[in-house]
Amino acid sequence: MIYLDSAATTLQKPPSVPQAVAQALATMTSPGRGNYGPAARASQTLLACREAAAERFRVGQPERVVLTFNATHGLNIAVRSLIKPGQTVVLSGYEHNAVTRPLAMIPGVRVKLVKAPLFRPDLFLEEFERQLTGEVDAAIFTHVSNVFGYALPMEQAAALCRRNGVPFLVDASQSAGVLPVPMDGWGAEFIAMPGHKGLYGPQGTGLLLCRESGTPLLAGGTGSLSRQAEMPPFLPDRLEAGTHNVPGAAGLLAGLRFLRKRGLESIRRQEAALIRQAAEGLSRLPEVQVYAAQGAGVQTGVLSFRMPQKDPGWVAEALSRRGIAVRAGLHCAPLAHAAGGTEQTGTVRVSVSAFNTSREITAFLAAMQALV
Amino acid sequence: MVYLIMCRSLTYAQRVANALERGGIPARVLRSPEELSPAGCSYSVKIAQRNLARALTILHGARLPYLGIYVNSAGYGYQEVRP
Repeated sequence: MIYLDSAATTLQKPPSVPQAVAQALATMTSPGRGNYGPAARASQTLLACREAAAERFRVGQPERVVLTFNATHGLNIAVRSLIKPGQTVVLSGYEHNAVTRPLAMIPGVRVKLVKAPLFRPDLFLEEFERQLTGEVDAAIFTHVSNVFGYALPMEQAAALCRRNGVPFLVDASQSAGVLPVPMDGWGAEFIAMPGHKGLYGPQGTGLLLCRESGTPLLAGGTGSLSRQAEMPPFLPDRLEAGTHNVPGAAGLLAGLRFLRKRGLESIRRQEAALIRQAAEGLSRLPEVQVYAAQGAGVQTGVLSFRMPQKDPGWVAEALSRRGIAVRAGLHCAPLAHAAGGTEQTGTVRVSVSAFNTSREITAFLAAMQALV
Repeated sequence: MVYLIMCRSLTYAQRVANALERGGIPARVLRSPEELSPAGCSYSVKIAQRNLARALTILHGARLPYLGIYVNSAGYGYQEVRP
């Protein structure tokens, strides 16, 4: 199989990841619940994972790295912590349902959308600045669209927020492990990301980077301040109730170490080259509409396309029969489709990882040639 | 005689212990004794008396503040030490 669905989950992992998971399962128990070897190893693994993430994302203190089950879990904590009933929030316009649905659960929230054309960061910033009016309480950005791979100009958008005193959170689900995500440079309140995509960790892992503390989503045992009825006030305990996913954290740590060894820029360049190859090949097919950026640095390893005469689900199914894994539909991001003008049909999405090759893209293009 | 460096969380205690170990001071994370944990379950780092001064220098340099330092004197329970 040629796997081109890494925007959902990276399937190919560095061998060190499953090895670390297996070793943790065999040798570690619950962290913080005992001083014996397996518990101490679990505690050390969690700390090492937090430290690797703190270094990668420039968080400063490892206790501000909260281990979550996925990006959705982190985003739920972040949204509930940052947005209060009746407040006004600006969204970048590319948000996943992992942002919009938690937001919809908060009563009376007023949402303002940045409406700017796809792959035009200059126009995005102009429009975002226009939306930053006095009544705005917070902003939420999708760093990279999970539908189009469009990398929003986060650095400049963060600077606008800081200048206007607007707190913001970032969904880095598609950028973590591909683009720099500097917590300290941006000054975000929260940055959420999954472990199982560009960080090459296992499913069931994620990270929430916190500037300050937050509102717990779950309450329960933390192994600290146990006579107190409320959750502890300090991080990470405040936002981590119950036994941790220690094998997951061990795998995520191995993924973070792989990234440090391999280098972010090398992965970014490789993925961009593969997507360029796919976009150029698809654009030569007469019946295919491709959503590709013209300039460099605006699109990551995600590409959407559609064939106006064919349902995206049919295309994905036909490719699947030829051994090529892609994803079709709305990708849980109807706002992004509205921005791209594809809300009625959805798209077929191709997404790559550090383990894809040019030869695989050639095979995918040959399969597409056979479909048109 | 041993000293306990009280920390606000397990994660913090691990950071303290790791910083001390990196500085050549044997340090062990343990659950704080009940009498030092009125709110229940907290964590401390145990070090030998002879290493206290150097440990404090390391923690100051690493900007790792702690909640307090305690020593267990026979018959008197734990007492806070103010270096």
